Amino acid sequence: MKKLEDKIIKKIYRMEAKKTIRQIISETLLIITITLFVVFIFTVIVEVLNDQASFDLFDFLRDDFEIIKANFFNNSLLFIQELPLPLTYILISLLLLLVWLLYIFIKNFNNIKNKIVSIYKFWLK
Amino acid sequence: MAELSDKEAIIRIRNGEIDYYSYIVKKYTTSIYRFIERKLFKKEEADDLVQNVFISFYKAIEKFDEKKPIKPYLFQIVQNELKMYFRSFKKDQPLDEQIISEIKQEDLKIEDLKSLNNLEREVFKHIGEGYSYEEIGKLFKKPLNTIKSIVRRGRLKLKKIYEKT
Repeated sequence: MKKLEDKIIKKIYRMEAKKTIRQIISETLLIITITLFVVFIFTVIVEVLNDQASFDLFDFLRDDFEIIKANFFNNSLLFIQELPLPLTYILISLLLLLVWLLYIFIKNFNNIKNKIVSIYKFWLK
Repeated sequence: MAELSDKEAIIRIRNGEIDYYSYIVKKYTTSIYRFIERKLFKKEEADDLVQNVFISFYKAIEKFDEKKPIKPYLFQIVQNELKMYFRSFKKDQPLDEQIISEIKQEDLKIEDLKSLNNLEREVFKHIGEGYSYEEIGKLFKKPLNTIKSIVRRGRLKLKKIYEKT
């Protein structure tokens, strides 16, 4: 009976090790890919805004507090209007997806860590 | 680990501490093995089935309600595994080209074929000409299983007629 029990436990560990490795690799790859996309789209948006000289709208920030107070709202609205909208929507969606993925990853982190420790202990003994 | 309850073990396993699964395996293997062995009388196959039971339970552990006892759930899996095991021994009745051979070709009358619909009649005609089911499927642009179903239905209709006469 001991032999059978060992066989079952070994199978469970093998199965779990494969599953955990697959999960870690897929989640990490997904997060890296989305982060790269976010960085890429962000640089494109910055480039577009630079070409439009949209950042000049914030030159007033170097002035006195009163001027900043008076112009901040209007200039910010203008800046938002000058943003390339389709790219901004894509960037926001990707950011939301990234945050959601990171949340899942952090939520499962303890679980994955425990699994790795168990698997490591099992193969070491 | 000896003082652990099933509920605690399940919670810990869900939390990723899979070494606690060995507690469940050690606790229930003997009873499950004896139950399966009595039904099968073959040691090697009992071993495989016990392994399948525990693997299935491990896969279902996320969905398992830890407030409920483990044993009835495990025995439900045992029942399913045994069902599948015995089903694998059931002889499959192949639905091959010889399926209409039960009805002799010379006994077939044109009136009998009238009880079949057009498609069934065409399929039977092609079978009579020596076409295989796959070839007929390609000719009629229908999947193999559909042709098999058509033949089965047609065969049942003809059988009814022959039983009446």
